[in-house]
Amino acid sequence: MGLEYVKISPGFEKYMPRDYVDLVTFGQFGKQVDVMQLGQFKELVEEHPMCAGCYMAYFIRVFYAALPNPEDTIVLGTAGCARLALSQAAVPFIYGNYGDTNAVASGLKRALSIRFPDKVKDVVVIAGDGGLMDIGFGMTMHSWFRREKFTTIMVDNEVYGNTGGQESGMSPKGIQLKMAPKGKQFDKINAVELAQTAGCVYVARISPTNPKRIAKVIRRAILAAREFGPTFIHAYTSCNIEYSIPTREVLADARAREKKDFKFYEWMTDEVKEYLEEIERKEKEKAKQEVQK
Amino acid sequence: MYFVAEVNEKECAKYNCKQCVLFCPEPNCLNYKESDHTAWVWYDRCKGCEICVYVCSDLLKRHCIEMVMVKTGD
Ligand SMILES: Cc1ncc(C[n+]2csc(CCOP(=O)(O)OP(=O)(O)O)c2C)c(N)n1
Ligand code: SF4
Ligand code: SF4
Ligand code: SF4
Ligand SMILES: [Mg+2]
Repeated sequence: MGLEYVKISPGFEKYMPRDYVDLVTFGQFGKQVDVMQLGQFKELVEEHPMCAGCYMAYFIRVFYAALPNPEDTIVLGTAGCARLALSQAAVPFIYGNYGDTNAVASGLKRALSIRFPDKVKDVVVIAGDGGLMDIGFGMTMHSWFRREKFTTIMVDNEVYGNTGGQESGMSPKGIQLKMAPKGKQFDKINAVELAQTAGCVYVARISPTNPKRIAKVIRRAILAAREFGPTFIHAYTSCNIEYSIPTREVLADARAREKKDFKFYEWMTDEVKEYLEEIERKEKEKAKQEVQK
Repeated sequence: MYFVAEVNEKECAKYNCKQCVLFCPEPNCLNYKESDHTAWVWYDRCKGCEICVYVCSDLLKRHCIEMVMVKTGD
């Protein structure tokens, strides 16, 4: 899109919907918001039909607040619950056939770098466990083998949530689901290890218990992808419907899983580490100077 | 009629806290007024999940959020 495209032409403010005017006036275009300011600025994502208490929806909310450059970002999604919110945000969203996100993102990122050689355009895939690790598995893996420079975020609810509870490769062994009544026979796929082996330069596993940390990981993954290659975030985002979690307990469940099998994990190559540390050091200095002013 | 969260603003203002706002799954639903140091709910956007109640009552023991029934237009 670009910043100029987002702004309202002078004189047209009164004809634009209120939510759009708020977005341009009190939103995050053209500035870097701190995720801790949530609830005090107009968010990029709007009302959407994901279920009450869905922590995939929560993760998506934090994702948009964390974008380093929303006006120059394109998000790709696929069939599954996440697209219900991704399609309601003020960031261009591409939706293809089920599981094709990483093939489409590869072509898109390459085309953008040819069309806009002097600009940074971020491409981010957000898709479910079924989309990335089952049906789109080949496309996910090959985008990593080819070292495509975009970020893949797997919102893992350990089930096909959108179609009523079939098991996925990411469902835990033994789990009984509506459409897996005998219990899953195989282990949960180790996605983080696969990503590392396949060539991702930055990999993280996270449970959504700490918005500041989610934002940091998302930012790091996007910045690293610009320069070095594929980056991957494996996020636990429970499905309270298929796993029968009372909505009031959804955050408690995320905290419990963080202690068990979703311990925070972050890995990156040495050159990515050096690059990110340099950027973060400069940002800290700038913030310090601003406080002194 | 539907079920929404309501913040007791007078109680909430005592804490200068904001934690519930950071964990609500819905965008611009549970907001924060810096001038009064209070959280407030945009009823139309609230889905009644009670995650904010978990944060305020179960985790922080501050008990500033209550679930109430409202009618369209309240
Ligand atoms: C080619 C194709 N096969 C099957 C479907 C039906 N379908 C829609 S969503 C979905 C599963 C979604 O599971 P996941 O990717 O884990 O996302 P979730 O809904 O759990 O977030 C399936 C099988 C489809 N849309 N396209
Ligand atoms: S079905 Fe599950 S993952 Fe999908 S929106 Fe509902 S709670 Fe979220
Ligand atoms: S958690 Fe409770 S005390 Fe803290 S901001 Fe929310 S309502 Fe106020
Ligand atoms: S009940 Fe749920 S949707 Fe409503 S304000 Fe609380 S956390 Fe947000
Ligand atoms: Mg899923």
